[in-house]
Amino acid sequence: MAKNDLQGALDLLVLKTLSQTGSLHGYGIVLHIQRVSDALLSVEEGSLYPALHRMEQDGWISSEWALTETNRKAKYYRLTAAGRKQLERAEKSFEHLVKGVRAVLRFA
Amino acid sequence: MSTFRRVANLFSPSKVAREIDAELGSHVEMRIEDNIANGMSPEEARCDALLRFGNRTAIEERVAGEDAALVIENIWRDIRLACRQLLKSPSFTITAIVTLALGIGANTATFSVVDAVMLRPQPYDHPEQLIDVVPMNSRFTQDYSRNLSYPDFFDMRLGNHTLTHLVSYHDTSYTMTGVSRPVHVDAQIVSWDLLPTLGARPEIGRGFSPEEEKPGTRVALISHALWMTQFAGDTAIVGRTVSLSNQLFTIIGVMPASFRFPMTSPQNGMWTTLAVDEDSTDPSTTKRGMHFLNSIGRLKTGVTVAQANRDLSTIAAILAKQYPATNTHNDSAKARTELTALVGDTQTALMIVLGAVALVLLIACGNVANLFLARMRERQREIAMRTALGAGRGRIIRQLLVESFVLSTAGGFAGCCLAFASTPVMLSLVGDTIPRAADAGVDLRVLAFVIAISSVAGLIFGIVPAITASKTELVSSLKEGGRTEISSRDWLRTTLIIGQVALGLVLAASAGLLITSFMHLRHTDEGFNPDHLLTYFFETPDWRYKDIRPEFYGQYFEKVRALPGVQSAAGVAIMPMTDDGADITFEDPEHPVPEEQRAGANVTVITQDYFRTMQIPVLRGRDFSDRDNMESQQVMIVDQAFGQKFFPGENVVGKRIRPGADDGPGEGPPWREIVGVVGSVRLSATQREMRPEMYLPSTQLSHWCCLHTVMRTSVNPRSMEPTARQLVASMDKDIPVTNVRTMQELMFSELSQPRFAMVLLGVFAALAITLTVVGLYGVMTYSISRRKREIGIRMALGAQRSHVLNEVLREASALLAIGVTVGALASLLATSALKSMLYGTGSRNPAILALVSVIAAITGLIAAFIPARRAASSDPMQALRTD
Repeated sequence: MAKNDLQGALDLLVLKTLSQTGSLHGYGIVLHIQRVSDALLSVEEGSLYPALHRMEQDGWISSEWALTETNRKAKYYRLTAAGRKQLERAEKSFEHLVKGVRAVLRFA
Repeated sequence: MSTFRRVANLFSPSKVAREIDAELGSHVEMRIEDNIANGMSPEEARCDALLRFGNRTAIEERVAGEDAALVIENIWRDIRLACRQLLKSPSFTITAIVTLALGIGANTATFSVVDAVMLRPQPYDHPEQLIDVVPMNSRFTQDYSRNLSYPDFFDMRLGNHTLTHLVSYHDTSYTMTGVSRPVHVDAQIVSWDLLPTLGARPEIGRGFSPEEEKPGTRVALISHALWMTQFAGDTAIVGRTVSLSNQLFTIIGVMPASFRFPMTSPQNGMWTTLAVDEDSTDPSTTKRGMHFLNSIGRLKTGVTVAQANRDLSTIAAILAKQYPATNTHNDSAKARTELTALVGDTQTALMIVLGAVALVLLIACGNVANLFLARMRERQREIAMRTALGAGRGRIIRQLLVESFVLSTAGGFAGCCLAFASTPVMLSLVGDTIPRAADAGVDLRVLAFVIAISSVAGLIFGIVPAITASKTELVSSLKEGGRTEISSRDWLRTTLIIGQVALGLVLAASAGLLITSFMHLRHTDEGFNPDHLLTYFFETPDWRYKDIRPEFYGQYFEKVRALPGVQSAAGVAIMPMTDDGADITFEDPEHPVPEEQRAGANVTVITQDYFRTMQIPVLRGRDFSDRDNMESQQVMIVDQAFGQKFFPGENVVGKRIRPGADDGPGEGPPWREIVGVVGSVRLSATQREMRPEMYLPSTQLSHWCCLHTVMRTSVNPRSMEPTARQLVASMDKDIPVTNVRTMQELMFSELSQPRFAMVLLGVFAALAITLTVVGLYGVMTYSISRRKREIGIRMALGAQRSHVLNEVLREASALLAIGVTVGALASLLATSALKSMLYGTGSRNPAILALVSVIAAITGLIAAFIPARRAASSDPMQALRTD
């Protein structure tokens, strides 16, 4: 399970972030996840961009260049309809995983 | 991203790369800004941002890898990098490309011939349904040389249940007059349904109808080439009558330029129906004993060749019971696909040549792989550096494989050019002995073949070095300046070179056998003297010469003998060295047997002076003379092989036998007294033993046609051609002279198939040995350069030059000894494939094997000696100083 599910977890975090914030650049996503999780989760920056580009190829997110508040050009990502569906699926499957893992832990 | 943009990205890929770069850049910049806002100094801020981000280039590559368009761009970048790498070491690159070009070029040229002869389907409708049918003697199931007679053919055509059509065909030739000048036309006499059987249509006019097999019909289809050359492509040709050997034929259609039947006679100009064979007082269509027809049939849908085979064999067996006198030897039949029948014996020769050339490519790949392995040593540091900078193992393997593919593509391209240049040379070697070979050329299929073998070659020589290189140990290679070695690499190189030596030896041994065999064929006594002999042929058509042939030829030869430059001249019905032959049975009162079990021998009709002209020795008795005529005692002459086979240990002169079969009523052929024994003559340059031969005097036979002229000249025989043509034209202006050849030319073309195999295998073996020696030289040079320092130290400590030299040579000898042993064993197995192509030597010839082994060992040692001597004579101080 490990690798795929962890990758799935990164996808889920990114998709959820975009659904909450509407539109955000890569750096913003990193900061958002860190802040919302009270610094419990920190996204490895090297893995984020390949994931973003893969999800864009899959049609879950779309991108456009825009200016940040500090007038810097950055690439902003936004959820697509397909991405919204994927987020639902990912949330469900994550809940399943958590339930399952919990059950195993409780048993012990 | 829309599909459109994705596709568009393929054409502007660097834009995507720039975007990725900008995106990652802005991330880092934003982090720096935030760091500064949090109170870090600018340097600290940048350092922290970069550290957090990790290896930017590696991430960029990973991001790019997610984008389909960029994968292609990356490969393109790899290709450019590979080209730069290869340009940096031109001597390596050129050696590798030349080696590959030789291997790939030789393969491509050979494949183009094999493709044309064996693989390309015949240009007919559903060619896989076409079968060749021959009668067969159930005791000799490999003898495909028999022919059907018309009555047999008619019975098979009517009685079979497995074929939609069965068509008979045989060749003939006509003299076409009434056009600009008389021309000789090769023609085929066929059943009416030839075109429906092949699925062919005339380009203008119509095909034959069933009624056109009826006696008295004279219709012809002509070839496109004949239409263009003799009738200038006139569309009014259909319905026109032409005179063919003084009979009027109506032209009913013209076949398209692409039509060819049979495949073996591309020059055929005309097809007519078997009605012409029925139309004489003594028609061949009713003679069951006259076996001269070929036949081609088309299987009914769903019927297999084996089923047709059984069906036709059953009919043949019934016929053999019904007509024992004529059909006992044809008591079975064989159906083969037309392609199998067409390719015939050539298949073995071509497959052997193809196998040989594939070995050459393997050796070439071995060399390039070895070069690559040696190069890896120089590049170890570079590779280690790239690994340290974050390139993954897959990335390194990919880069190295791209390099080998770039090399193999370049080699393939150069090889293709080489093939273009060498195919004509190859075809001139083939001559016209292999059907369809002349069609060989570089086409799409051949190009596909080149691409396929180049890629396979690239993979073969690229994969092992790439994988071993990717296992490079990082730290030690960087530390020691690239001097470490991975031991498995030596093991690989050694195995490669041993394999090369072994393969080279197999090729050399095979070539040696073929050369020996060819020398044997060239130097075998033909039984006559082939020098200064000119031969040609002209027809004396029945309608004018039937009753006056003896007189005509008598006058003709008198005139020929009177020509200046002619020493003697004679006529012969079946010329040696033309693969022609007629076999008839004879009755022998001393060994009486039932008619169907009588022995047969070759027969030919000759004029006086034949033995003198050919310089065939009369061993016993006498030659024919002008006293042997219709009224005198009927005589014949036999050759030595005849006496030895049928009357061993006896004197055959004075014996009486009766050659020829009783066919129908009448008193049959006359009894003849054997008046002389002559030396045996080879009828074909590649025959394995002398065949018994009977000679009958032309002066004692009435119905025969026609004689080849052989003339012994005191001048260059070719220079007599115009004179001979003038002489024939002066006697009858309507007779074209054909097949003008010197005996040497005839023998040359007879030997073209063995020569083709020998020359190609010889060239390939030479190529293989050269490549192997170069490879060995490379391996030794490399192994010595690795040990330069060690050798330097030992010499500095007092080791003798000769000692160092000996040690290096010992290493080479060990490699060679293993390679030669393996190769010799493999040769023993491999050369048995050559068996059917060898004359005068067995397929296991120890002398040849020993010879090529010694040659391989000596050349190999020389290749090792040069770098060894260089190492031994180098200055130890210099060796010690190099890194």
